[in-house]
Amino acid sequence: MDPNIPRTTPRKSATFDDYTLSEIRRAATTGIYDIRGAGAKRKLPHFDDLLFLGASISRYPLEGYREKCGTNVVLGTRFAKKPVELKIPITIAGMSFGSLSAQAKEALGRGASAAGTSTTTGDGGMTPEERGQSKMLVYQYLPSRYGMNPDDLRKADAIEVVVGQGAKPGGGGMLLGQKISDRVAQMRCLPKGIDQRSACRHPDWTGPDDLEIKIHELREITAWEKPIYVKVGGARPYYDTALAVKSGADVVVVDGMQGGTAATQEVFIEHVGMPTLACIRPAVKALQELGMHRKVQLIVSGGIRNGADVAKALALGADAVSIGTAALVALGDQDPHLEDEYQKLGTTAGAYDDWHEGRDPAGITTQDPELAKRLDPVKAGRRLSNYLKVMTLEAQTIARANGKSHVHNLEPEDLVALTVEAAAMAQVPLAGTSWIPGKGGY
Amino acid sequence: MNELDLKKDGVTAINHRLHALPENTNERHWVIRNPMGQHAIACGLDGPLHVEVHGHVGFYCGGMNKDAEVIVHGHAGVGVAENLMSGLVWIKGNASESAGATGNGGLLVIDGDASSRCGISMKGIDIVVGGSVGHMSAFMAQRGNLVVCGDAGDALGDSIYEARLYVKGKVASLGADCIEKEMRDEHLADLSRLLAAAKRKDNPKDFRRYGSARKLYNFNVDHADAY
Amino acid sequence: MVKWLKAHHPQVRIVGSGHTIEIFKEVGLPANVYDKFELDDAKGTHIIGHTRMATESAVTTAGSHPFATGADLCLVHNGSLSNHNRLRENLKREGMEFQTENDTEVAAAYMTWKLRNGVPLKRAMEDGLSDLDGFFTFLVGTADGFAVVRDPIACKHAVLAETDDWVAMATEYRAIAHLPGADDAKIWEPEPSIVYTWGGNA
Repeated sequence: MDPNIPRTTPRKSATFDDYTLSEIRRAATTGIYDIRGAGAKRKLPHFDDLLFLGASISRYPLEGYREKCGTNVVLGTRFAKKPVELKIPITIAGMSFGSLSAQAKEALGRGASAAGTSTTTGDGGMTPEERGQSKMLVYQYLPSRYGMNPDDLRKADAIEVVVGQGAKPGGGGMLLGQKISDRVAQMRCLPKGIDQRSACRHPDWTGPDDLEIKIHELREITAWEKPIYVKVGGARPYYDTALAVKSGADVVVVDGMQGGTAATQEVFIEHVGMPTLACIRPAVKALQELGMHRKVQLIVSGGIRNGADVAKALALGADAVSIGTAALVALGDQDPHLEDEYQKLGTTAGAYDDWHEGRDPAGITTQDPELAKRLDPVKAGRRLSNYLKVMTLEAQTIARANGKSHVHNLEPEDLVALTVEAAAMAQVPLAGTSWIPGKGGY
Repeated sequence: MNELDLKKDGVTAINHRLHALPENTNERHWVIRNPMGQHAIACGLDGPLHVEVHGHVGFYCGGMNKDAEVIVHGHAGVGVAENLMSGLVWIKGNASESAGATGNGGLLVIDGDASSRCGISMKGIDIVVGGSVGHMSAFMAQRGNLVVCGDAGDALGDSIYEARLYVKGKVASLGADCIEKEMRDEHLADLSRLLAAAKRKDNPKDFRRYGSARKLYNFNVDHADAY
Repeated sequence: MVKWLKAHHPQVRIVGSGHTIEIFKEVGLPANVYDKFELDDAKGTHIIGHTRMATESAVTTAGSHPFATGADLCLVHNGSLSNHNRLRENLKREGMEFQTENDTEVAAAYMTWKLRNGVPLKRAMEDGLSDLDGFFTFLVGTADGFAVVRDPIACKHAVLAETDDWVAMATEYRAIAHLPGADDAKIWEPEPSIVYTWGGNA
């Protein structure tokens, strides 16, 4: 080599980047797809790509704190005799006992109840801890029917028929052997320590015509009292919302691909489904065409992090939002003070996603009694209620700035987009123009 | 004996009547007439009632019942006795798909044939079928017993966990991870008890037992073809 | 006749043709549709009724079932196909024409195409088992009978009732329950991947 000839700097492939190479080596070594928790991690068009316009001369703002800005939401006004009344438009999404420790479930119940909202069970049944601590509890009805029983169904404040979730629309649940403890095994009627793979379709119905009959049965068993939600992964939100309404749902829950999961194939999380931002308008359109917007309520989830996200989702037409990942962080997940322990697990605070392995140093996504003990349900619950209150205040701040006396009066017209992608997905104009891609204009 | 006419009163009124009975009621015997294939008949019962349905029922008859006895003098639609907790559901005719799906306990007897997915995801229920069962029966069956006095369709016991399957006739094919297993005395005793409960005269010794090979319990790349 | 209509009155939608089978379609409550077409006065040997909870295509008269699959043949479908878009493109290249985005119309066109190429109906339905992906229970009405087939997974229900006087097929038994003698009919379900036929032409 002639040292006088300049060399180009070593260049790594954008296509075969470090992560890709590490995944190829991992697959070649293990022979199994990568499984992890959480939702899509890739960069996606999201609520950050939208801005509110606020008010000035043409529109008059409301005084902060003094002039009222309502945040309450009533879910299940269509058929249920006892709708769910929430003080804030933010609910806690379904997360199972099994994927989470009993302490974490209790903390979610405490936090949500203190903030005036509901929590949701998950794929594994209802625990006394969460029923006890949740003023309002939504009972999930899933393909696996783990822990499903009519007593708990009747104890619930609402029933959520889960057809899919954003992290894996079309996929079934998964809970690996490490987390099938004695109690989890007993609740799910499974041997301890086995890999539990849930079905992707319900065992006794397929398609909207059957769903209508299934919803009717659930109503019969619960005396037509409880709101029935239908939760779908954000895959084909226009059709799925329309069909959920036609099947008799009181509430439709649409979960975008940033929505988390306890454990699923990485390829599923990152490559199937649509960004939350892209799901809302098609779902709202379906409701509007059926004359059901605000009559059948729409809950949107998947990557909701702050009051701005809440306000933006509501402005696009949602009635409420759900949080999962953000709630776990509020409890104490990914906390930098645990960095040493995350390092030992080969990861770092903020990137920990091996939730299926059950070794969560924060004591949240685990069934290890020693780790689970680290989470104080009272303190963690308090953190969650603080966080929910901040989000609500933030959403109110934005709503007042746009002249709204209720957060539900936010409209798409209060928004502009920063990127062409977000403008197209949210169907709001690119900032400073009247251009909505795909809708004409200039 | 109280009589209810479903054609006249509708399903909701009839279910409400049965659900509203106090725990210590003396009105334990009920007859439902004119079911007309309607859905969700006598579901969600919670107490020791005895309900006889005269005619064919639609989907989810007896679903999620506890302690009650429901006898259907006719055929049953999809998901009969789904998620049954305890008690008895007895179908004198045939049953459609997913009979006894996810049942936790109690006994489901089907005198005739059951269709596909009989006992899917069963979690402790006992099911006795006098005739044959369709394809994918006992799919992901977790716990409990499925007794088939006739034949079984394709993929019996696919991805089965710990449920026990007893078949007297031919099995079209076994599903992934389902194998024939030795019939020991404890199994013969169990089977005799179930046949007697279903008032069947079949000889337990004429049955074969099937269950999980437990090879899919924890992922192994060499078994990936079975997924 | 069909060709002439298409050439001279392209605005006319042809829902069916032949000598024995009549197809009526409308959007609205079944009872109203029944009255509108005066079905009380209808006479014949067999009848198919279909109400639709549209999955992925519009609720329109054109999207209503049955779809014609040739002279005196029509098809109704319960389920949702998953490969109809590419199949529609292939069939268009084979000269088939489409009026909707409906998956069932693709299944009907597929059958029509097979039959035009001289494939007997039963074979055409069997071929459909490998060429059509997704979930389906199909019922094909013929000049003097009908045929039924379900996909290999067979999640979309079908129940058959037979007496000495009649045979009936429905998605749910409650549709059959009103027929005279239904209580004592022989009731059974078609198995997956098997084509069942009634009548000579099927």
